[in-house]
Amino acid sequence: MNLAIRDLQQHWGRFTLSCFGVGLMLTLVLSYAGIYNGFVADALALIRSSGADLWVAQKDTRGPFAEISRLPEDVRYRIAVVPGVSEASPYIFYTVQRPWHSRSLRFVVVGYDLGTGLGGPTHLVAGRGISQGHYEMVADRKLGLYVGDSVHLGLHDYAVVGLTQGMVGTGGDPVAFFSLHDAEEIQFVKDNWSIRNARERAQKAYASALPTQPALAERLAREFADNPDQHTVNAILVRITPGADPKALATTISRWEYFTASTTAEQSKLMLEGSVALARRQTGLFRVLLILIVTVIIAHIIYTMTLEKLKPIALLKLIGAPNRMIAGLVLQQSLALGLTAYLIALGVGHMTYDKWPRRVLVETSDQLLLLVIVVASCVVASVMGLRRALRVEAGAALTG
Amino acid sequence: MDVVRIENLTKVYGSGHTAVTALRGAGLHARCGELVAILGPSGSGKTTLLACMAGIVEPTRGRVCIDETCIYDDGWRVRDLRRFRREYLGFIFQSHNLVPFLTARENVLVALQINGVTGSRATDIAQRLLDDLGVGERQSHLPEKLSGGEQQRVAIARALANSPPVILADEPTAALDTQRGESVMALFRQIAHEKGSTVICVTHDQRMIQGFDHIYHVKDGLVTDGRPSTGDGEPTAPEE
Repeated sequence: MNLAIRDLQQHWGRFTLSCFGVGLMLTLVLSYAGIYNGFVADALALIRSSGADLWVAQKDTRGPFAEISRLPEDVRYRIAVVPGVSEASPYIFYTVQRPWHSRSLRFVVVGYDLGTGLGGPTHLVAGRGISQGHYEMVADRKLGLYVGDSVHLGLHDYAVVGLTQGMVGTGGDPVAFFSLHDAEEIQFVKDNWSIRNARERAQKAYASALPTQPALAERLAREFADNPDQHTVNAILVRITPGADPKALATTISRWEYFTASTTAEQSKLMLEGSVALARRQTGLFRVLLILIVTVIIAHIIYTMTLEKLKPIALLKLIGAPNRMIAGLVLQQSLALGLTAYLIALGVGHMTYDKWPRRVLVETSDQLLLLVIVVASCVVASVMGLRRALRVEAGAALTG
Repeated sequence: MDVVRIENLTKVYGSGHTAVTALRGAGLHARCGELVAILGPSGSGKTTLLACMAGIVEPTRGRVCIDETCIYDDGWRVRDLRRFRREYLGFIFQSHNLVPFLTARENVLVALQINGVTGSRATDIAQRLLDDLGVGERQSHLPEKLSGGEQQRVAIARALANSPPVILADEPTAALDTQRGESVMALFRQIAHEKGSTVICVTHDQRMIQGFDHIYHVKDGLVTDGRPSTGDGEPTAPEE
């Protein structure tokens, strides 16, 4: 016969409610761990799936993900001839937000070279990959598009030909893959309205400056040109030949005057040390605070439950119950509360994580860590109740 | 042979100007299988006397011995009073004497469990005691679903569970009507005379003093030894 369970059976409604409340708090604790893992996974998703061994970015930048990097597209040819380089492929990465039917689509445009395939989608869950140079796109499922949908971007309509899953940018926005030239066009080519505006502004500026400042007029005319040079990319992805040392190759490329080369491992590290590290501290702080709150709540519940049992506890002491039996009663109830709440947290989390706006990746290690924390919290939380229970005098059973 | 022996027991609560003397050199003796009453008005010190016997209240002076084990002896006390209580004593009170979240049967079982008796043996003992006391049919009910008399019978079953040599009862009939009170007293007589346990019963219920083997009167902390009840409901004058 277990006294703790028998007592809880008498107050099962309140106990269940308490478990549910604490369980939801624990769901948040677990979710924050999952959100952090999601940050890491999101941050590394494109890097890992790119298939690149080296990332070449603008000199002294940590691009293309950690900060803006711009390179002329033809740099790919200079890099491709470096000994040890198997393939060099231009890569474009930027975020857009465009209206689509009645809603707004926010996504990361990734432009890649269809020939090398570096940086392109790897695992499709529906449809096919991009097979023609223009007007096709592969979108992530999170974007809410289906194969066959058409999205108007810039001057053209792009047909969704395939879907990926779990491909998001560093900010958690879903990715849409395009051919390199389509990505350049979407980014740089102005639509007709913009072109008309630009022409008018150029003409006015030119007409106003020409009589007195012909050099300035010339420069303004160039600035307001219909389409500036659009052959700019954010990085060059490099695949090295078998046996080549990526670090040595990165060092070699970095020696070139205007480039910074990093290995995929270094690129991943850059990501984790940047915005992800901040998110880790943030979520870590939330988790600590939530654990403290959970501990206080459990302590309060257990203490209240203990206060309600002082008479029976005194009676048990009077008839000779040892302290370990009394302590067991309080401690077991605390653990029952914590562990039931933990199971609720696992259940609620399992049912809801895929509905969260950002990716929540809860791993087994997170669940086990939380279990250990919950047990420790329950033990700590029961201290106040235990002290009260053990201080009860047996004689209290004699008083009315 | 004396199962309970109390000598020169003094209990003073507080100190200095606020000191209250609850017992003044009290003495009490009870033999094996004897039904003993401690009578006295409220505040006379009878519950303190019972609490000293139960090892709940430590006396200021004097000696308390139960079944040849002295638990208090002029400032010295036995180390593990709780163990002493579970092995030597059974308790019955006026009210609040059952664990509210346990059924009648579990209230008896818990006393056995505390004494290390578990499993089918404990279940058999609990069942037999509850049947003997006429509450076997109500064994799966919680105390709140039992009448006052039934609760008291379950408490008696619990007190008897470990066959203690001494049973201490504090106002066991105060919350019961006359008929149920007499029934409980009859049970006490049966326990004392047939099972051989010494039953010490604190009461100021004049209706129930018939049939006690020995009566002690407590007044202003002084305990006087009285003769057995005359059977007319009035105690005899205390012996000098």
